[in-house]
Amino acid sequence: MIRAEWWLWRRLAWRQAAALLLAIALAAGTVAWRTVATIRSLDDVALQSQARLVADQLSASPDGRPVLYMPPSLAAAFATSDGESLYMVFDGANRVLLASNPAAEALLAPYLPPPPQTGLFRVPPSERYPAGLLGALITAGPNGPLGAHPWRVVVAQAQEQQEALLASLLREFLVSTLWFLLPIGALTVLVGVLTTRHGLRPLRDASAAAARIGPQQAGMRLPETGLPGELAPLVGAMNGALARLERALDAQRRFVGEAAHALRTPLAVLTARIDALPKDSAPDTAAALGQDADRLARLVAQMLTMARLEELPLDVSGPVDLAEVAVEAISARALLAIRAGVELVLTRPDSPPAWQGNRDALVLALGNLIDNALTHAPRGTVVEVVVRPPARLSVLDRGPGVPEAERATIFTRFGRGRGAPAGGAGLGLAIVARIAAAHGGSARVEPREGGGAAFVIDLAAPAIMPAG
Amino acid sequence: MRLLVIEDEPNLAALVRAALDRAGFAVDHAAGLAEADACLRMAAYDALVLDLGLGDGCGLTLLRRLRARHDGVPVLILTARDAPEDRVGGLDTGADDYVIKPFHMDELVSRIRALLRRPNAALGVRLSLGTVVLDTVTRTTQVGSEPLGLSARETALLELLLRRAGRVVPREALDQGLYGMDSPATPNAMEVLVHRLRKRLQDAGADVAIHTLRGVGYLLAAAE
Repeated sequence: MIRAEWWLWRRLAWRQAAALLLAIALAAGTVAWRTVATIRSLDDVALQSQARLVADQLSASPDGRPVLYMPPSLAAAFATSDGESLYMVFDGANRVLLASNPAAEALLAPYLPPPPQTGLFRVPPSERYPAGLLGALITAGPNGPLGAHPWRVVVAQAQEQQEALLASLLREFLVSTLWFLLPIGALTVLVGVLTTRHGLRPLRDASAAAARIGPQQAGMRLPETGLPGELAPLVGAMNGALARLERALDAQRRFVGEAAHALRTPLAVLTARIDALPKDSAPDTAAALGQDADRLARLVAQMLTMARLEELPLDVSGPVDLAEVAVEAISARALLAIRAGVELVLTRPDSPPAWQGNRDALVLALGNLIDNALTHAPRGTVVEVVVRPPARLSVLDRGPGVPEAERATIFTRFGRGRGAPAGGAGLGLAIVARIAAAHGGSARVEPREGGGAAFVIDLAAPAIMPAG
Repeated sequence: MRLLVIEDEPNLAALVRAALDRAGFAVDHAAGLAEADACLRMAAYDALVLDLGLGDGCGLTLLRRLRARHDGVPVLILTARDAPEDRVGGLDTGADDYVIKPFHMDELVSRIRALLRRPNAALGVRLSLGTVVLDTVTRTTQVGSEPLGLSARETALLELLLRRAGRVVPREALDQGLYGMDSPATPNAMEVLVHRLRKRLQDAGADVAIHTLRGVGYLLAAAE
């Protein structure tokens, strides 16, 4: 199974969630910015009207100096503001005529717009006013009772901390909007994920169907109904490939089958003729002919097996009891062993090692190893077949063993060892190696302790361990 | 015993027919499915030797027809097809044995005899190998003409081995056949029983031997 690098539904969920958060942040930012701007312009208007209010209360004393008569409510506003609100009155030469607070003059003077300008101005933050001050300057009294003495009236107000204001604004915004934005967002993500998963269900079905297709079910096709348009071409192409594969496999299977028939039928006639030879005339010739025919039959059988193994995929997905494999392989050769005077012994674990594989192929492979051992084992010795968990089959003999130089080549096709008897075709061990490889495993030969050879088939761990 | 050999290769058919004749069977030959059907309508056979790749179709269709009408005649498939799936397919269809070409005549003859010995075959009350004879009805055993005088359990063991003579009988099969499901035998009990039977056969001069395949089971074979 291929490890998934990413999942469509997860990626979709993440992206939707990210997009949602971004939208919330953008909305909050816009609202905050607009609100701050509005508040500022409101501040400006308020300051200017305050300045107008102060200006309206000015009157001229006989010596031309301004006199401020503050109504109690206005006076109280400046008094209780704890220095947050200031006012000052200047003359045209920037001399201070009146001030709510003596310190205010020093504070504001450097930032006043020079005459004759009026309008708003800012005082940068200082220790006393961490957010600075906003001031409004107007002219007053050029006409009316004050004659030609224009005064300049300034009202200033400490700015609130912008950050605090923004924070409280955002808090307000988020609290009032998140409670419905979040559920809507979650719903969107959920709908997206469900749509993806539902939309991809045909793909999962197709994958499951594809997983069931083995060499024995080459005629199967992936379901083509209910597929979304995005997937239909892929599944269609897969099915096209499967059809081509099936035709190729069919042709190969037919060819191997026909070759088997074409080769075996004349061999059967030959063997039958030799068997029918009268036993009393030339018995040695008859026996030699019989052996030749047997050798030819063995060679044909091995070549056909090899052709099948190399040309056709082996279905190794079935459940296999390795102890049963050993029993079957040994049973088929029991008489042979008895005639050869060799004792065949099976050592198997108490609990049968259940594994995945091709039972017939494993019986054939182990059988080839036993045949090999029987041809090399001296009379009166023991050939031991050992089944060991998790999945090892070994055949141990007390024959001459395999020289180190031949241990690698002995499993190749026609790679006969020097000690091989004349009857062998040199394919038996190649078949063993091929079957082991088809199971994801390997075959090897080792010297056996105390003399002889130990042939070992190790089957690889299957993708799914069968229970038990 | 009457056999029908269904084989389309004329040389092989003649050779098989001659060999089975010599072995004491009455043999008819059919070269194809149609001919085989005609033979089956005219006579009752004790066993069929069936080739699969026939000129006018596959032998399996004949076998399927036989089994569909509950004809249990033993069928031995004789074929060049040796792929495992062919073999399984043949046995699943209802064949009793499967022999791959090329083959030796004596093997074919002994396999046919084994088929006829099977419990569901017409005969088989007398099981024998070499000079050893077991009557499955009277439960008596003989070596030559001498009664062997075996215990009931020894007789049961000999019967199980005789029924599969020349082939390995797995321990588990013997266990079940001798002791049943409910009283499991200790491994030792089986060994003692086999040892006793072996000694009695030997003492009686029987020309058969019980071979032990350690870890697998036992095999009864004619002595060489």
